[in-house]
Amino acid sequence: MKTVDIIERIEGEAKLNLHWKNNRVNDAYIEFLNFRGFEYMLEGKAPLDALVYTPRMCGICGQAHLLATVNALEDCYKNANIELHVTAKAKILRELGLIIEIVQSHIKWFYFFIMPDINAASMTPRKEFEPLKGQQWLKAQRASSEITKALALFAGQWPHTSYMVPGGVMCDPTHMDMILVENYIDQTIAYFEKELVGMEMQNYLTLSQTDDLKLLKGDIKSFLKMSFEQSLEKIGQSYNRFFVISDACGFHKGKIRLKNVSKFEMNKIKEHDDFTFELNSKIQKKEKYGWAKTVKYDNLFYETGPLARAMTQNRRFIKQLHKTYDDSVLTRVMARVDEIAYLLQTAKTMLHTLDISEESYIAPKTALKEINSTFGTGFIEATRGALKHELIIHEGKIKSYDVVTPTVWNLGPGEKPDYGVAQKALIGLNSLQEATIVLRSFDVCSVCTTH
Amino acid sequence: MRNKPKVVWIQALTCNGNTQSLLSSNASRFEQFLNQFELVYHPSLTHHTTLNDVLQSNASYDFLLIEGALTSNTQFLTLSDQSSTAIVEKLIKRSHYVIAVGSCASYGGVHAKFEHNDDVVGVQSVVGKKSACKSGHDTINLTGCPVHPEWILQTLYTLKAKGNIALDDEQRPIELYSHLAHHGCTRNEYFEWKVESKSFGLKEGCLFYEQGCRGPMTHSSCNKILWNDTSSKTRVGMPCIGCTETDFPRENMLETKKNIGIPAEVPLGISKRAYLSLTGIAKTFKIERLIGKLIDENR
Repeated sequence: MKTVDIIERIEGEAKLNLHWKNNRVNDAYIEFLNFRGFEYMLEGKAPLDALVYTPRMCGICGQAHLLATVNALEDCYKNANIELHVTAKAKILRELGLIIEIVQSHIKWFYFFIMPDINAASMTPRKEFEPLKGQQWLKAQRASSEITKALALFAGQWPHTSYMVPGGVMCDPTHMDMILVENYIDQTIAYFEKELVGMEMQNYLTLSQTDDLKLLKGDIKSFLKMSFEQSLEKIGQSYNRFFVISDACGFHKGKIRLKNVSKFEMNKIKEHDDFTFELNSKIQKKEKYGWAKTVKYDNLFYETGPLARAMTQNRRFIKQLHKTYDDSVLTRVMARVDEIAYLLQTAKTMLHTLDISEESYIAPKTALKEINSTFGTGFIEATRGALKHELIIHEGKIKSYDVVTPTVWNLGPGEKPDYGVAQKALIGLNSLQEATIVLRSFDVCSVCTTH
Repeated sequence: MRNKPKVVWIQALTCNGNTQSLLSSNASRFEQFLNQFELVYHPSLTHHTTLNDVLQSNASYDFLLIEGALTSNTQFLTLSDQSSTAIVEKLIKRSHYVIAVGSCASYGGVHAKFEHNDDVVGVQSVVGKKSACKSGHDTINLTGCPVHPEWILQTLYTLKAKGNIALDDEQRPIELYSHLAHHGCTRNEYFEWKVESKSFGLKEGCLFYEQGCRGPMTHSSCNKILWNDTSSKTRVGMPCIGCTETDFPRENMLETKKNIGIPAEVPLGISKRAYLSLTGIAKTFKIERLIGKLIDENR
């Protein structure tokens, strides 16, 4: 039997094409049918215009795209042998922007995207998690919009600011601005403590055993209760291979294939379009079933995102959960929530090392549009994982621009038996409800997957 | 209009930025909105209703909000197996008001720059300026990439209370788009005396001369109704890129196009000659407080 379901509430729409045998999924395809062609739009544009375009690939992780673009443009200078100075202050203000974006996105994802499904599937659904009405849903909107103010203090607005630029940042915040940023961070820590985990963040960060799950209160306690009731610790497993592309924000770049973290070689990252629709064809070949591309490392699929980051970073609590429950839905959700605490703490540390008297911006000696020929690559960890931007500049204009997004790693297509990461996690499930929750555990973003 | 107007929000070619903007609304205002309006369907937010439910229903909706550019080309976008254009054509007849949320929905925006699809358009290109919606009200464009969440809420509240809203030539609410991004910019004093910013990353100086700031020619209340209740791009030092105007995105957005050292475009409503005379005079003043650092902690 075959079923096709349209999945919404994933930042766009996807089609879940499931083949059933003995009431279990024995083949699964995820189709993304929305294509906007950002890489094509950027061809022929002025290099700095990319700072305005790329955040608009994704309204959810615009700061990550901006930082990846800046890193790629700065790499263009490096490859053209032009020296560039970026102060520690500018670097902190960039990463802080990214951290705030990730934190507010994780809060929204937990309450707006995954909890409504888990709550609806629960034997005892609770009205506080009801979308648009429930108290905890509303508090999540409040918390995410409050912390975004911290970003606006030095980035002007969110979404869609382009305050980062090769050479530094465009802003010049005052001491008081940054104190206010810290106030908003502290307010979010208080929210995390009171609503999400029901304990002080410092205590939360010392948790290290699977058994410590019992200590959690707040909404995580409700999540765990519903998860065990629905056996979410037993579903959603994929390859158990993890990939982290950047050390920024204190993350740990590396890959885990078997057990330990190891280094990787950038040139082994390969993108292909065997299953991807062709641009110039109205009738697509049979094997092509969506706009998403496929990306692999050394010809293997790897999972990217918060769980991968917790694994390479050796964050003990999540590592132990993974030891017990593998790369299940439960582990994946917990890794995302756990990252909120980790990043809020990192933001505090960053704020304390920030030296506001440093320059925000040191102009590059040459403008990019004056460089005849160069190329560059930028890597960053976005909310959903590894993000890579790569461009070639020719006669002062962008000649080509290539983006590999986190959701291409996780949701990109494969084919039996070599399934993509999320595809593999769907095989063997015994209901559409389970399939939807498993798919959602990857924090699906259709616009990011196809861009 | 009933006490609790029904709102349907659909998405076409979009980055989700306008939804994210809405979710970043002031929390009290957003909660009030949820109490006073019924958000029947939103692809990212509602749980019990799908787009198919909306399409198959015969219900009338008070507000049809569209995020993203439309295309009839199903090669690049289908939603629930239909083109976005077909969906809008169906829903408009059942809606009292149609509102294009953001620059993409208003005129194609960034997505219209994808040249392989020559059918990326804004809502009014599909439904007309004089739209076929039930109230007969003109299509409302809330331009901006993204649109400010307050602009959405204020438009909805105004229509709820008054039944109509005055629009400018681009179909934008006059009250929200008569101001320029320049109005309320904390750098205005530098603009007045023609003191330009020496580079990015400074509190001091105007971004109009070098960094491409479109504040003086962009209709938007970004500096009047602050972003995230907090700030604006120009206040922190990012030039306005003119994202509420129909020529966005332009080329070379982060630099000012000049002819013989003179900005190719001058502030709205002033002749170039008058502007140059004024600039000449303003520059003869040497205003000490505008030359040095604004905040000097070593004083």
